[in-house]
Amino acid sequence: MQLDWMMAVAILLPLISGILVYIIRQYHIRGLIVVLTAIALIINSILFVKQGLPIEYTPEGYNWGLVITVLDYVILLFYIYAGLSLRNWLVLIFALTQIIPLAYWEFGMGAHAEVEPAFFIDHLAVVMTLIISIIGSLICVYAIRYMYDHEHHLHLENSRQSRFLFWLVMFLGAMNGLVFANNIYWLYFFWEVTTLCCFELIAHDLTTEAINNAARALWMNSLGGTAFVLAIIYLYMNHGGAEALSMQNIISGGLGQAVALLPIALLCFTGFTKAAQMPFQSWLLGAMVAPTPVSALLHSSTMVKAGVYLVVRLAPAFAGSYLSIMVALAGAFTFFGASALAISQTNAKRVLAYSTIANLGLIIACAGINTPLSIAAAILLIIFHAISKGLLFMCAGTIDHIIWSRDIEDMEGLAEKAPVVTFITAVGILSMFMPPFGMLLGKWMALEAVYIVPLAAILFVLASAVTIVFWAKWLGRLLQVLPRLGKKWEKLSLSYSVPLWVLVIGIFVVGIGVAPIYQKFVHFAVTNVIAAEEVFAQGWNIVIPGSAAASAAQAVGAYPVWPLFLVLAAALFVPFICLALKPGELRPVYMCGEQVGGTDADEWITAGEQKAKLQLGGYYFQSVLGEAALNPWVNTIAIALLVILFGVSLGRWS
Amino acid sequence: MNQWLLAIIAVVVAPFIGGILAGIDRKISARLQGRWGPPIVQPFYDFFKLLGKSKIAVSRVQLVWLYGYLFFMITSLVLLVLQQDILLLVFMLGFAGICFVLAGFSCKSPYSHFGANRELLQMLSYEPVLLLMALAIYAQNGSFMISEIFKNNTPLIVPLWPIFIALIYVLTIKLRKSPFDISTSHHAHQELVKGIMTEFSGPYYALVLLTEWYEIVLLLGLVSLFWANPLWVGIIIALAAFVLEMFIDNIAARMTAGWMVKVSWAVGLILGVLNLAYLYLKKGVL
Repeated sequence: MQLDWMMAVAILLPLISGILVYIIRQYHIRGLIVVLTAIALIINSILFVKQGLPIEYTPEGYNWGLVITVLDYVILLFYIYAGLSLRNWLVLIFALTQIIPLAYWEFGMGAHAEVEPAFFIDHLAVVMTLIISIIGSLICVYAIRYMYDHEHHLHLENSRQSRFLFWLVMFLGAMNGLVFANNIYWLYFFWEVTTLCCFELIAHDLTTEAINNAARALWMNSLGGTAFVLAIIYLYMNHGGAEALSMQNIISGGLGQAVALLPIALLCFTGFTKAAQMPFQSWLLGAMVAPTPVSALLHSSTMVKAGVYLVVRLAPAFAGSYLSIMVALAGAFTFFGASALAISQTNAKRVLAYSTIANLGLIIACAGINTPLSIAAAILLIIFHAISKGLLFMCAGTIDHIIWSRDIEDMEGLAEKAPVVTFITAVGILSMFMPPFGMLLGKWMALEAVYIVPLAAILFVLASAVTIVFWAKWLGRLLQVLPRLGKKWEKLSLSYSVPLWVLVIGIFVVGIGVAPIYQKFVHFAVTNVIAAEEVFAQGWNIVIPGSAAASAAQAVGAYPVWPLFLVLAAALFVPFICLALKPGELRPVYMCGEQVGGTDADEWITAGEQKAKLQLGGYYFQSVLGEAALNPWVNTIAIALLVILFGVSLGRWS
Repeated sequence: MNQWLLAIIAVVVAPFIGGILAGIDRKISARLQGRWGPPIVQPFYDFFKLLGKSKIAVSRVQLVWLYGYLFFMITSLVLLVLQQDILLLVFMLGFAGICFVLAGFSCKSPYSHFGANRELLQMLSYEPVLLLMALAIYAQNGSFMISEIFKNNTPLIVPLWPIFIALIYVLTIKLRKSPFDISTSHHAHQELVKGIMTEFSGPYYALVLLTEWYEIVLLLGLVSLFWANPLWVGIIIALAAFVLEMFIDNIAARMTAGWMVKVSWAVGLILGVLNLAYLYLKKGVL
């Protein structure tokens, strides 16, 4: 009984709250509903941790299978309608390629997609639902105020906030369903719901650009959906009917025979499209036109994480095959390509988007490497990336609403105007690429695991080096300040500051406590994917035992977590304690004596004896690393890698 | 307890060694240029004189990063002395470098920004080589732990000589020697004011000098790992590499940042990748 309620809260409550929010068009009541839903989701997700996992669950009472089938066709028919009304033939074609095989399979062949259990909730699913429920909910709370400011700035006559929050909140329910589903036909349904939510949210502002980009997201994800449908039909026909639609059967060899690689490759391909892997990165970049909460949600806890979740989940099904190596290479290539492209971007949200694509590539590559160490790295990266990226997008949105620009060059000297947000952004940026924070821990584990796929190892090395450049460049622009740092702390709405601070605290808590958290919880999620005897944690530190890599050495690597955090704390606090500067000790910078005015001035006298404001800019290397220069190359290579990926998976027919 | 003691000794002794090496550097450079040169302990005189200067800074944020630079450099050195994970060491060294870059960015000064941007490109040049070095050491020893290097009787330089050459290359960049003294130079004649160092003064500049001394010791320590058994051979190799850097410094002129990235990626990566490929073939992974 309790389980029924927990499942209902996780999957159906967001839908119900979404509808309530849509009907009630009053700012405060609407906000209250969102906040209450957020709290319910967070508590509910934590309750799952307390359950004896794994849980098998099949809903009873109604014919849920029929409901899902009907809704599935409704969504697909809507895509056809969208394709026709937007006159976007790609949307139409890929809607048809989904609905026709699906209808033929269900009605022409009379397939029954009933699977016991319909839901299978193990540690990996709970890790995902924690991310979705906690970080996703915080973003919804953030969106309450953000959308209010957003519409205020646009001077809209008719508020569309209700509609926005409806899709945003419902997204969380679909994601929860997606990670719990064991029946892959149901998984496909939730997959389509997330695609639909994504489409509606990107198109929200209804500008031409927004609609075009939403349509691109739709057709690319529908292409993935088509691969999903084909995989379902292939599994059903060649591996013994409905039994073959159980995810647990597919990954744990419960079908009595090895599953063919082709449907697995198709499912991985679906994951790639959703995780915006190259050459499909353009839909996620286009999604940037949407209001920032959408980006925060898509990048941290939903949508793209569904893509990597699917690939990680499927990892046992392709372990030891060439497909595994190709998945690793495709992911590693995206990691490198997207990191290089990020250097040339001036728009903060595009930098974040490329960084997301790169990190998803890293996670997928880890799934492809397919050792206990790399799977542990993948799951830790999913967690840390969700926290840091959720935070960074909310920071980008808050900055946007302070300076009304997303351009990194406009953020010059933000530390003066908005010291609090700058501090939070700096923490977010540092947590993405620097030790001792979690993302780097994940990257470190990935690099220690990558040895067995040599080409991926080299791509990892290059990408790690490139990553440093674009983050440091951005952080440098933020921090550039005149001598007298802004003394006034800006005031933020609670709807902004609560999610931001919670995530900052989250970065530190999860970062410092990573070893015990790994030992007590994440380790079991790893064992859901791959048999991992070794626990990589010793007390508060991460240690990789030699046996994990079949190595003669006692330990392969060690990452002392808390000593490094102590160093970080010292580095932050010592300068404040010892050397607080008096205002008189701050001096203007050296400009060959051509300054105008005193310490605060940033004007100088040009050769023409005129006053000019000092302007500094970052390096972007547009001609070498710009999208125009690199895109043809990276897309060609990425497509070639996908072709090889399918080629090697054809090698092992059933 | 033994480990703590070792770490404390390293942190206390390293600046003395680093300072004396810096003094030797100045002396030899002076002789190469036909000058008499300052006494060997001159860097210490400079250091204490700078400490005594009045505190003047252009921005408060800058100080946080300067301390970060010092602290993370010390952390890297401690990781080396305690024979910890070499990959983590490379990442910590990277964090130290980033702190320095951000210190350069933390004020509105054109010269400091030139330097910081260039320092960033320097990092881009050497970081992949250092990471490849860590991977190659793993390929050879089956572990990233430095302690495993000491257990191995074959010196690393034998199977890893191409990476060793690449590391010497990195050393040139890291020690800011010509032709790679791009972000700031020890010689005033080829510099935009003082590059990234322009806005560091007085006690804060002393802090940077101190960090550089730690860095010299750390880098030469990394070089000496290539002949860890017995270690004195490694130390001699490291000192020889240090003297070699001075010669390179005095016979080369500064090149542009773009050239540096291209050349170091080409040289470093070709050497590193070939070396890795050889190790893979030997182990039969490929």
